[in-house]
Amino acid sequence: MAEHNAPGFGNLGLVIRIGVDIGGTFTDVVVLGEDDGRLWTAKAMTTPTDPSIGVLDGLALVAERIDRPLRTLLGACSLFIHGTTVATNLLVERKGARLGLLTTEGFRDVMELREGTKPRRYDLRMPFPAPLIARRHRLEVPERVRYDGRIERPLDEAAAAARIASLREAGVEALVICLLHAHRHPAHEDRLAALATANGWRAYVSLSHRVLPREGEYDRLSTAAVNAYVGPGLARYLERLQERLDAAGGQFKVLVMQSTGGVLPLAEATAFAVGSVLSGPAGGAMAGALFARLTAAPLLVTCDMGGTSTDISVIEHGAPVERHEHEMSDVKICAPAIDIAALGAGGGSIARLDSGGLLEVGPESAGAAPGPACYGRGGTLPTVTDANLVLGYLAPGSFLGGRLRLDRAAAEHAVRTAIAAPLAIGLEDAAYAIHTLTNSRIAEGIRAATVRRGYDPRDAVLLGFGGAAGLHMVAVARDLSIPRVVVPNHASVLSALGFLASDVRHDSLAAIGQPFAALAPAALRKTIDALETEGRARLRADGFADADIVAQRLFDCRYLRQAYTVEVPIAPDRLAEDGLDWLTRDFAAAYERLYFHSHPGETAVVETVRVVTSGKLPPLDLPTHPRGAADPTPAATGTRRVWLEGWHEIPVFAFDALVHGMAFAGPALVESESTTVLVPDGARAATDAHGSLVIGTR
Amino acid sequence: MRNLSRPHPLTLAVVRHKLKSVAEEMVDTMIRTSFSPILNQSHDLSAVIHDAEGRMLAQAERVPIHMGAMPFAVKAMMRAFAGDVHEGDILIANDPYWGGNHLPDVTLAMPVFDGGQIRLWVANRAHQGDIGGMSAGGFSGNASEIFHEGIRIPPCKLAERGRVREDLLRLIVENTRKPEDMMGDLRAQLAAVHVGVDRMRALFDRYGADEIDRCSAAILDAAEAAMRAQFRRWTPGVYRGESVLDDDGRGNQRIPVRATVTIEDDHATVDLTDSADQLASFVNSPYANTAACVYVAFMYMATDDQTHNEGCFRPIRIITRTGSICDPVSPAPVVGSSVLTSTVIMEAVMKAMEKAAPRDMIAGYARRFRFAIAGKDREGRSYIWHYFANRGGAGATAETDGWPNLGVIHNPGGARSPSVERTESSFPFLIESFALRPDSGGAGTTRGGLGGVYRLRYEGAEPAVLNAAGEGVEVGPYGVAGGAIGACHDYRIESARGERRLGTKESGVAIETGDVVVCRSAGGGGFGDPDRRDPARTAADRADGYVTH
Repeated sequence: MAEHNAPGFGNLGLVIRIGVDIGGTFTDVVVLGEDDGRLWTAKAMTTPTDPSIGVLDGLALVAERIDRPLRTLLGACSLFIHGTTVATNLLVERKGARLGLLTTEGFRDVMELREGTKPRRYDLRMPFPAPLIARRHRLEVPERVRYDGRIERPLDEAAAAARIASLREAGVEALVICLLHAHRHPAHEDRLAALATANGWRAYVSLSHRVLPREGEYDRLSTAAVNAYVGPGLARYLERLQERLDAAGGQFKVLVMQSTGGVLPLAEATAFAVGSVLSGPAGGAMAGALFARLTAAPLLVTCDMGGTSTDISVIEHGAPVERHEHEMSDVKICAPAIDIAALGAGGGSIARLDSGGLLEVGPESAGAAPGPACYGRGGTLPTVTDANLVLGYLAPGSFLGGRLRLDRAAAEHAVRTAIAAPLAIGLEDAAYAIHTLTNSRIAEGIRAATVRRGYDPRDAVLLGFGGAAGLHMVAVARDLSIPRVVVPNHASVLSALGFLASDVRHDSLAAIGQPFAALAPAALRKTIDALETEGRARLRADGFADADIVAQRLFDCRYLRQAYTVEVPIAPDRLAEDGLDWLTRDFAAAYERLYFHSHPGETAVVETVRVVTSGKLPPLDLPTHPRGAADPTPAATGTRRVWLEGWHEIPVFAFDALVHGMAFAGPALVESESTTVLVPDGARAATDAHGSLVIGTR
Repeated sequence: MRNLSRPHPLTLAVVRHKLKSVAEEMVDTMIRTSFSPILNQSHDLSAVIHDAEGRMLAQAERVPIHMGAMPFAVKAMMRAFAGDVHEGDILIANDPYWGGNHLPDVTLAMPVFDGGQIRLWVANRAHQGDIGGMSAGGFSGNASEIFHEGIRIPPCKLAERGRVREDLLRLIVENTRKPEDMMGDLRAQLAAVHVGVDRMRALFDRYGADEIDRCSAAILDAAEAAMRAQFRRWTPGVYRGESVLDDDGRGNQRIPVRATVTIEDDHATVDLTDSADQLASFVNSPYANTAACVYVAFMYMATDDQTHNEGCFRPIRIITRTGSICDPVSPAPVVGSSVLTSTVIMEAVMKAMEKAAPRDMIAGYARRFRFAIAGKDREGRSYIWHYFANRGGAGATAETDGWPNLGVIHNPGGARSPSVERTESSFPFLIESFALRPDSGGAGTTRGGLGGVYRLRYEGAEPAVLNAAGEGVEVGPYGVAGGAIGACHDYRIESARGERRLGTKESGVAIETGDVVVCRSAGGGGFGDPDRRDPARTAADRADGYVTH
């Protein structure tokens, strides 16, 4: 990205890249030297009222650590990638913009009808989730387009102007425009947008055919509404952040992490705000893609285990598996995003006996406050962290580098009172049961995420990160017969590191909606070329040279009577062919891979065509260290008594002191400031060239 | 110290999760490998794990009504082949007089052996797109005998010692209108039971079959204890509830289901003896379906998070009268039981509970009104379009207003409706509007959810035929504790020839180009005195036009 390579790296003496990830509790900063691959990291407290303050705090911590002024650090930055949960929080906490809707006459309630669906089959007392747009602000305009794009009834502009005026009057901050069949004939939506802003109204406008140009009015409406709901708030935040960074000496434009694992420049990220709503776990998945490359794993499962939940994603051939339909906070979002399964099982998950007296862990979590009983902040219920402390896996004095001293007596009391005594079992048995049930739940989560997509977990590498993963990953892997576990040394800031492995990415889409037999290759070529030209133009505007732009083309196909589509990649030379026989073959093959059969002779349809254009950022390479001696003794810090179905004294190693080549057999513990890894009996661990712990599970 | 006849608490907790995830994996397998849209899109299927006695231990949370009924089917199969079940055998059945709900629901069950004896059963059920009978699609509204409704499969062995009986498979699929789809769907069910058995064997290897047996017993006991605790929280007494079907489509009106519910200490008896005699109409509910309705009604009413397995059925005793609509004898037709009569049975039981569990009540839901239009599409191909977008409102509960457009209590919110745009691009229809139906929800301290208004203009070149199989035109969703009844379904056909109202079970109604079918669906029932509704909520209802007066 030429224009980001501004001169004047001050006296830092090198060019750096910065990744910043704002989480619920901490803001993580990763700084990478471009020349030598050196890494500096810092964690600052997240500042919820204005998260940009926490970002600057974290950057200042790194500057302090390398003993340079912040201005010098920022001046040396060529690339700044930022992941934020601002958009996510606006949606989850229902604190987004006040919305208004203009829609086709007869259809103002589409959003509230919810396609007739409801989660949780047996829970009939669940409150109805209030629609993002109040009914009083959902207005109809006289117009109608048919399924084939024909205009049945022209747009009544006078009526439209009156509706717009009344929404403006009502204090609407963001306007959603969603008309039936607008993906076939977008002119009415475009005209309404022009009318809305004609009289100087500066509302954020979200058009359904721009956000999602395909069939399905509920999908377009819901996605466009989320876009408008979070757009203004996200814009305010990003603009403020950019100003703060500029003022502090930055000479770069912020790139914003998207739910796909790609990034977008600020202005585009603001216009397509819905694209960052599901971006929270994307950094972890991108780090998974990085480690899949580093460890040459064709199939890798990431398992990010934090305080309240565990996020699972699947990386196939170096790329995270995506989905195009998601549900967040009872709202449907149809935008490409990495497919991440979230389980309610983390370090803070509460263990309890249910009404039938059976042990259960999660999904309720003690969170950061009051937190596990051992935090001594008022929590009294036993959590997974408490169980791990009782078992000796965590040391009272070394948690978070000793900044938070854990209260072992409080953990024991909680486990004994809530679990051990009512079940009439020993304290250690109870704690071990909590630990093991957690392993089992995570294993079942991974099984569902892999098997459901036709992957065999036995072929996968398991990448464990997040503060709580290290104690559970080997047991989880063994449950699934996964032979190899990797725990990176930077486990606690891996998400921010993953940002630096991203590319700038634009997704564009066109509705086709035609049976294979009705498609003319020449016309298809034209459509696809137009999408690709648009994507390339945007990337050139972002500062990319043609040589650094890569385009990927895909069809979404389905059988006529089916609802779900299957992705069929289009190889570059295919479109030069005269016929589409290849499409019939490739669709059948893709369908069979997923479903183990196909339907020869059945009419198949191309629903949409998609083009993903990527502007390649410089590839991320972690520093490699030369292989040294296998003897891990220099990294040993002592021994600890732990419960492994009986008390045993086992060795403890310092993660940071383990260097390439050192190897040892379990049982052992490996500790760093932010994580602890349990290598159980029968497993073998070795440190690889990047400082990751690689554990053979049997 | 802990009692050694009980499983280790850790093993128990792990095994309970494993059983549930194995059931989910079976369902996933069926969804991924089945052929028919009703399975791979609408997910009208389920999977369960039973112990050696056929008691349901775990279920994939899918169609509630399947869940309560599966144990009957599995036990009927076990009885039919008692002493003659071998490793690798797979049993099949769909007969309502052998523990089924209705003929389209086909159940497969496979035993899990360990040490030469049966330790568990895995089973699944899928609603087939067609099962033969008088009319396509499995619902033969004009049936007067079960023989009109399709092929009856009493318990049979679909596989013997690991070999699938291809002859039997052919016999079954050739008796349906879509043999290729049915073959694909049955193979998906076969694949799923194999997945279940493989996963269960791995569990035996890890924990031992005896420990799994102890876990099974404890899992059932835990759910039973939770359900008994729930009954203890309800007020003991003898209570009566009645609900009526609109009609049977053959001239009989207001057909009653009467439930006498006796709550004593920690258990209940539900006596349905006083319900109507069986009819020569598809509304009869075979015993398994009836029992499932009673169980599901109590599972809905319960405020506890007890696991959903057969243990929670134990404190519930059900009494029916042979020859009644709740326990018919062959050859009474039954195909409408699962979607029409089910609702009425649940309503009767829940209404009886109003005095016993006033705060836990759930007001009435819109009943099912389903119709199909058969004709030729724009390219001249035959199609059958099933109407199910506009479901009607859900009933209110003590704290919450009912959901709009959720409909039918036997499977609330289960299947996603197709979009208006897809409907228009695939069928010769113009949807003129699909919107909420103001004032349709029953008033109350909490109000019923709104129904909808769906206007469908028929644009086909040739006339089409409409067949309806519905309920709730005469009987509206009930209110609770002074809450008002919800509006009834009101379906009309507007045409150049005039306007006519659509009956609940009309068949062969001719539709011509330009005719508009106007579907106003029912609203849910209200809960509590309407005058006690929070004035802010009343004002908001008016401002948003949910209520216009």
